[in-house]
Amino acid sequence: MAEMENDVSPIETEQREYVEDGKNKLVVQCKFCGSKILDKKSSNYIAQEKDLPLMQQASNNDREVQNETIKEFYHVENMYTFENIGFTHTVDNHKYLSCADCDAGPVGYHDTNTRHSYVAISRIVHSK
Amino acid sequence: MAKTYDCLFKLLLIGDSGVGKTSILFRFSEDAFNISFISTIGIDFKIRTIDLDGKKVKLQIWDTAGQERFRTITTAYYRGSMGIMLVYDVTNEKSFENIKNWIRNIEENASADVEKMILGNKCDLDSQRQVSKERGEQLAIEYQIKFVETSAKDSLNVEYAFYTLARDIKAKMEKKQKEASNPSGGRSGVHKPTLNDARKPVTWLSRCSVL
Repeated sequence: MAEMENDVSPIETEQREYVEDGKNKLVVQCKFCGSKILDKKSSNYIAQEKDLPLMQQASNNDREVQNETIKEFYHVENMYTFENIGFTHTVDNHKYLSCADCDAGPVGYHDTNTRHSYVAISRIVHSK
Repeated sequence: MAKTYDCLFKLLLIGDSGVGKTSILFRFSEDAFNISFISTIGIDFKIRTIDLDGKKVKLQIWDTAGQERFRTITTAYYRGSMGIMLVYDVTNEKSFENIKNWIRNIEENASADVEKMILGNKCDLDSQRQVSKERGEQLAIEYQIKFVETSAKDSLNVEYAFYTLARDIKAKMEKKQKEASNPSGGRSGVHKPTLNDARKPVTWLSRCSVL
């Protein structure tokens, strides 16, 4: 999994309507079932590039995991900050995050070395 | 960062292989054309936040699938767990009989004050039933443990079971805190938390602050 930090100026992040003071301004929910994943202002916005497996893998493809590059995440330092979330078994120092109610995912990943978690912003929805 | 919850309870799902422990934790069903990446890897644990009488309670729920033999589940596995769901399959007599062995394993390896509950799962499969509800209730009475029949498939009683277990853990914890602060016992005064209480580094009971 490739990983690199991008320099994003504070002004740029401030322009995102869902980020305020570097945090998620709104409640974070599952795209599919609306399960509450994070409370508002409980995580930090972070711009970084990371490959995550697609939520749906084509079944005719035997071995190769199909990935996509995600560029924006919410960074969660303590796993108990999550309202509702699932953690998969560990694969190469990572656990993948899934919706606790409908099991859709990965909606992000957990680094077992740092014990920090990252929620892929493109794979969740915001609500008030 | 300030703690945003009142209590954190670690819960385990225990029982024979195939009784549906994973289905209790994991609901996803996939269609014929796509495979869920998550179901391929499997869920290790979930964090759920519930409201119990105005307290924000975090449940960390662990599946023990793949480690079902009694001897492989030892002290290390039970460490820190405050509640255990003992699961059997109502269509599998053997899994019901083994509940007694699981209870013995818990008594030998887990903390003495761990809260337990028995779940008779797959109660939707009535035509294949081998264990009557009455026998489940009888076993629960024998061990003085709460009991409910569940269907993970139909989401029947699963949420109820987790709320019940969490409520019992919380009640036990509050009782112990009350006793600790009121050693003479028996008096019905309401316990007011003090600064001292919050700092006491006792057992897992102390993890639940601001009560």
